[in-house]
Amino acid sequence: MLTLFRWLASTHFSIALNQSQWAFAIIEIVHLLALSVSGGAILYFDLRMLGWSFRSQPEAQVARALLPLAGLGMLAMTVSGFLMVASGPVRYYYNPAFRLKMYLFIVALLFHFAVQWKVSRGDKEGSVRTVARLAAVISLLLWFSIGVAGRAIGFV
Amino acid sequence: MPSLQHICEWISSTSLSTSIQKSLWAFPIIESIHVLAIALLVGSIALFDLRLLGILMRHEPVSKIAHAVLRWTWIGFAIMFLSGLLLSIAEAKQNYGNLAFRSKLVLLLLVGLNPLIFHLTIFRSVNSWDLAPVAPWRARAAAWTSLILWAGIIIAGRMIAYIH
Repeated sequence: MLTLFRWLASTHFSIALNQSQWAFAIIEIVHLLALSVSGGAILYFDLRMLGWSFRSQPEAQVARALLPLAGLGMLAMTVSGFLMVASGPVRYYYNPAFRLKMYLFIVALLFHFAVQWKVSRGDKEGSVRTVARLAAVISLLLWFSIGVAGRAIGFV
Repeated sequence: MPSLQHICEWISSTSLSTSIQKSLWAFPIIESIHVLAIALLVGSIALFDLRLLGILMRHEPVSKIAHAVLRWTWIGFAIMFLSGLLLSIAEAKQNYGNLAFRSKLVLLLLVGLNPLIFHLTIFRSVNSWDLAPVAPWRARAAAWTSLILWAGIIIAGRMIAYIH
């Protein structure tokens, strides 16, 4: 893995990003703009699962309506996130907050989108409330931790 | 009368400001909350704006979406306002002359006027277009204004740390 990060660091692309004065700021802004979109969509799906918003709409319908926004936003976050890493791969490789964030990210991505996908198919209609609530709480905790770990990258 | 700059310098010297400045973790923690609550505040607003534009949940009544996001928008606003206020108090002296900070305040003022105008005008007749997949142009104009202004606020906010 370190070899991969070192190789990335040696590319022209990575060097150009590293030397540009404004590239990082712009990428960071894109990351934040994408957060408002994907974060909002994910949050409202979880709020629906908790029964705290969109109560009069079926879960499957809310899940379906929010899925493209959550997915596209997450794609934008991943691309901008990758570009941030590309601006200094080796620095990120050794950053413990970054590692934690990536592990949590993989878990959250698989968990959240599996749940939202399944609910959007309508399979879970009328399923056990406790399970839906638990899934929403786990999702919220995972994404929140990712946000905190992400902010911590700049401080550790 | 003391100038605005003096007031900012005085704020920086208060015990609340100095204690945040001195603490190793206070600023990053408040900042994390401020950044994450973007999802709650701007996410809620964007959802409603996208409904007006007919991009999201176009077959749901506009008033229903407004109802679903209203409470969370206010909660998000309260978190953003309080955390933002604390960050501003901690960095009052540096922020005074910061162009990005000043721009952000102006944009916040404008973004506050937008829903005020929206609710006093076109939203009053929501009953007549509640079910329309795409809202009338005045509502769409408000939605675009809101999305652009909020994007501007996020950009200006992030730039505070980059320009001195």
